[in-house]
Amino acid sequence: MTTPRRTPAAAALVACGLLLSACTGTDSGADNGTGQILNVATTAEVTTWNPVKSFSTEVYYLSNVYEPLLWMNPPGSKERFRPALAERWESSADARTWTFHLRKGVTFHDGEPMNAAAVKASLEASAKDGGAAFIWSALDTIETPDEHTVVLKLKSPAPADMIASSMYGAWIVSPKALAKGEDYFAKGVDAGTGPYRVSEYQAKKRVVLKAYDKYWGGWKGERYRTVVARITAEPTAQQQMLESGQVDYAGSLPLENVARFKKDKGYTVTECPTFTSHTAFFNTTKGPLKNVKVRQALAQAIPYDDIVKVGAEGFGARARGPVPAGAFPYDAQLPQTPYDLEAARRLLTEAGYEGGKGLKLTLSYAAENAQQAKYAPLIKDSFAKVGVTVELQPILFNQQWEKAKADPATAQDIFLLMYWPTYSDAGSDNLVSLFRSSDKPFFNLSYWKDATYDKFVDEAGTHTATDQDKAAELYGKAQRRLLEQAPGAFLYDMRTPVVMNSQVKGFACNPNYSFSIPFHQLRHGAS
Amino acid sequence: MPRFLLRRLRGSLLVLLGVSAITFLLARVIPSNPALTYVGAKATPEEVERVTHALGLDQPLPVQYLSYLRNVLTGDWGTSIATKQPVLGELGDRLPATLELVGAAMAVALVLGVTLGCIAAVRPGRLIDQAVRLLSIAGVSVPAFWLGLLLQLLVFGRLGLLPPTGRIDSDLEFTAPIHSITGLNTVDALLTGNGAALASAAAHLILPALTLAAYPLGVVARMTRTSMLEALQQDHIRVGRAYGVPERTLVWRVALRNALPPTVTVLGLTAAYALTGAFFVEVVFDWPGLGQYAASGLLSLDYPAVMGVTLIGAIAYVLVNLAVDLVHARLDPRVRPA
Repeated sequence: MTTPRRTPAAAALVACGLLLSACTGTDSGADNGTGQILNVATTAEVTTWNPVKSFSTEVYYLSNVYEPLLWMNPPGSKERFRPALAERWESSADARTWTFHLRKGVTFHDGEPMNAAAVKASLEASAKDGGAAFIWSALDTIETPDEHTVVLKLKSPAPADMIASSMYGAWIVSPKALAKGEDYFAKGVDAGTGPYRVSEYQAKKRVVLKAYDKYWGGWKGERYRTVVARITAEPTAQQQMLESGQVDYAGSLPLENVARFKKDKGYTVTECPTFTSHTAFFNTTKGPLKNVKVRQALAQAIPYDDIVKVGAEGFGARARGPVPAGAFPYDAQLPQTPYDLEAARRLLTEAGYEGGKGLKLTLSYAAENAQQAKYAPLIKDSFAKVGVTVELQPILFNQQWEKAKADPATAQDIFLLMYWPTYSDAGSDNLVSLFRSSDKPFFNLSYWKDATYDKFVDEAGTHTATDQDKAAELYGKAQRRLLEQAPGAFLYDMRTPVVMNSQVKGFACNPNYSFSIPFHQLRHGAS
Repeated sequence: MPRFLLRRLRGSLLVLLGVSAITFLLARVIPSNPALTYVGAKATPEEVERVTHALGLDQPLPVQYLSYLRNVLTGDWGTSIATKQPVLGELGDRLPATLELVGAAMAVALVLGVTLGCIAAVRPGRLIDQAVRLLSIAGVSVPAFWLGLLLQLLVFGRLGLLPPTGRIDSDLEFTAPIHSITGLNTVDALLTGNGAALASAAAHLILPALTLAAYPLGVVARMTRTSMLEALQQDHIRVGRAYGVPERTLVWRVALRNALPPTVTVLGLTAAYALTGAFFVEVVFDWPGLGQYAASGLLSLDYPAVMGVTLIGAIAYVLVNLAVDLVHARLDPRVRPA
């Protein structure tokens, strides 16, 4: 159909709409003048309300309802941690005994007191069958010498302060609720100590959080005592909700439209660094990609700057490896793989693929990931310049991952992955999960096995708690090995634009918790 | 009549069985692991394995299908993998929103479509007829999601009128909450005399309902025009005209009555089609109905949810067809077998 035919139909429908609107006598949108309710649009769905099991997007809500022992400050802060439920803490010199002194007079939302027994029960439950149980793998026993002191005894030295501030597997939960088991939480019941409690939950529709009056941190000033989160997967719909004033904050807007909000005084745009990064894995088990020269060639044929500029709409920063900037053990001295088509051609020739002859590769990415969908073609185009043909395979992440894990021999040649560490130690997480040898592939989707690399990361892990410099040095060596062997290419660390109605004040980024917004921190102020 | 009804019902049941079998198979041949959805993407392999077993996903396919079928018949439509809530409850929770949307759209299509069709039939070949023709063709051929976006852009974006998304202003849910009787916001607000909520709910309904109405509106307008032209050619109309019966009475009272039955049949059929259209419209307008539920279910590979929606859709389709057949049989004895 040609365009002129569409126009009268649309015009007529618009006219009808206007007439009907006149009948109902309303004007558009909502006026959020009360300052008491914060309306937000989010993509965060709830996989589980059980804080022990939680390992997904529900952290968006949980982080406002529950508290860990410590919070981790943003990189560059004077203090690395700040107290949450623990007021003070110290560790033995060998980092195998950690003592946490708990805040007094804190109650859970169900009225139970927050004490050493509650912390012991919560952490033991998380370590035993939590969704992120592995973060406590070093935990041996928990002692409670008195009502407000908790002593963690570890099997091996580990940074318990970092682990205790994780956003998965470290929430302190009322023991009464914990004892009720899995199904208790299913409908959106909470038993935390945080500033908010879950007051309403409609699966995939909305979550309402209401102030917990007896919150130990207090409720001063124009805070939002009610937060209404509308779960909206569509970025366009989120944008419209923000523009129509239905929400004060939208968590995931179409990136290409963020610039518009920057120019508008009605909104504040904060660009937050995150620990989420994009990696391309090369399948090292089959065909030409077994050859390190081919991998090096491909790594240099990836148009990194264009990917950040076009694929991420500028909301990203080139990576130096699988460790995102700001997270331990990021190393600013690591070289970045250059975009050098000449070098790539030369390497291909040396490997016996002159002019990329006959090289046909498949590249799979998550179809629902808008950024990957945008930059995958850039890789394809650039590879074509060195004579390598790429077939793009967009499928849902869940399927993409299942296929990749099933059998490396028939799997994709290149796998695009978006990844973030469970807590802020990307050494024990990213470097191990993504590239350390494993019998069955899980997140090591280049299926790479390298004894030298394994040795570096294994040894580094034992030093993290006691001698961070030593650990960083070893992790640095591991990362250099990665860049040399090129089992993958490191694309970029994401940045998230946070767009809020300018009446909302007090927001500060923290990449340690980039999936959540501390609502209690926000204030309502006249613009 | 009862025998006719029985036979139609039996056929409908077979259709539903077929639909459930096909959706079940489709949901399982995709290389994906629903257990992953259950525990979240970063869970450990052991955890995934435990859940796979707990959900019965390690059973052979026929066993899984049979137990699914047995459960469906006893009112247990499974538990959503993504939300862990009973699927039947979630469907019941979302059905009213879709019904309200589809109902409003069909009302718009019927009233506007019949009016436009009549106007076009009275002046065949004239400018107004051409305009209605254009509108009908556009309504039928423009994709719903595109039209929806266009309307949002124009009415909300440019003119600043009408809310672009949602069912009601979220503030109203606290200041003037709707007491739910039928689940249809506009109806409930009307019944309880909640003026503020009625205004907001109606304003939110306009754009998605218009978008969804475009297709049936086009069909109905065309159908009405054709059958009206035919009706206006009838002898009794000419006789009436000769006797000086006012033209208005002839068109709107006499001819329209003859022209309406086929239009209603067509409307019934497009109603079933509109249900599918609602899926796109709901996503675009963030309308919390079955369509949105299906879309998010598909994206998270939440197969109990997807199968639940498919089954509801199939049931609605079958019911509407059944109703159309019955109405038709009532109107036209030739359809009814002896």
